[in-house]
Amino acid sequence: MKRFLVGLAALLLAGMAGSASAQTMSYAEAGALIAKSCGPSIEKFCAKDNLGTGAVRNCLMAHQDQVPQQCFDDYAAARASIAKRIAAQGDAWNVCNANIRQACAGVQPGDANILTCLQDASKVIRPACKSILVDAGWWQ
Amino acid sequence: MTRITRFVGGLALAAALAAPLAGTATAQTPDSDAQIMQGLSQATMFDPSLTAQVLRQMAQDAVTQNLPLTLDKSEIAKRLDKLAQITVQIQFALGSDIIRPESYRTLGSIADAMHHPILANYKFIVVGNTDTTGTRAFNLKLSQERANAIVQALVVVFGVSPDRLEAVGLGQEALQVPSKPQDPINRRVQIFTIGTVGPMGSPVPTSAP
Repeated sequence: MKRFLVGLAALLLAGMAGSASAQTMSYAEAGALIAKSCGPSIEKFCAKDNLGTGAVRNCLMAHQDQVPQQCFDDYAAARASIAKRIAAQGDAWNVCNANIRQACAGVQPGDANILTCLQDASKVIRPACKSILVDAGWWQ
Repeated sequence: MTRITRFVGGLALAAALAAPLAGTATAQTPDSDAQIMQGLSQATMFDPSLTAQVLRQMAQDAVTQNLPLTLDKSEIAKRLDKLAQITVQIQFALGSDIIRPESYRTLGSIADAMHHPILANYKFIVVGNTDTTGTRAFNLKLSQERANAIVQALVVVFGVSPDRLEAVGLGQEALQVPSKPQDPINRRVQIFTIGTVGPMGSPVPTSAP
């Protein structure tokens, strides 16, 4: 419960500070950001293009003079954040390997057991491990 | 179980806090982030015989034979009901497979759940459903295209491994409310947890003395 409250305080702080630059957006936030800044242009110019084909981005570029710069900025920020989070999620277990061996001996992988173990051992885990778990969106 | 409850609570909180920042007026749909995770992680049992291919064939057979619609749930719907699942509303352009921007956030929420360690070792089927407006064959085709579009976005934009996802269109063959076949409530996307990607792995070795 104590940790939950600490987490709550951290979340509130993060909320007040806007998006902390060191962290990544959730995929939901990234999707929402693209929709907010580019949605009107997509509906207007790219109504026949689907996300995930590259067509939406090409279409927005083709209408560059009519699409707000904010859309391009936020689109790039969302894509960069998604890429960073995917990379962190891919590397997390390697970066945390030493801590896992040290703190989680005997733990059965799966169902987030390793993550829970690392969180329970938060006082001894390395900053690099904690940092990558934050970027992965698994540590708040 | 405590852990999952705590985690789900955290997600809901994060969503509630993130929503005003993201400025989406419609962010808090019934399919909240917490519900997505909760629904998909309730996998207590799998039905190995219920594959994407089998589902497609059942739907195709129903269309080909023009099986009568009953007031009861279809055989497909009954079998699917037993799996861990969520139902989400994804907004598509009328009669097409184009996902409207207002649903980008929901796609991201699904990706957040699928990328979390709780679900990282699981595979899913994304199922598209229509109501009975339009012809049966067209609905089957459209729902498959829509399911494909969702999988494509999850893979290409949000980095979910294609090995973990399959797309199935069931058209109007698995109505949510068979007594109201034209009700838009039947137009929906369902995601089912259908199995694991690989073995769960061995326990972490205890450090050698």
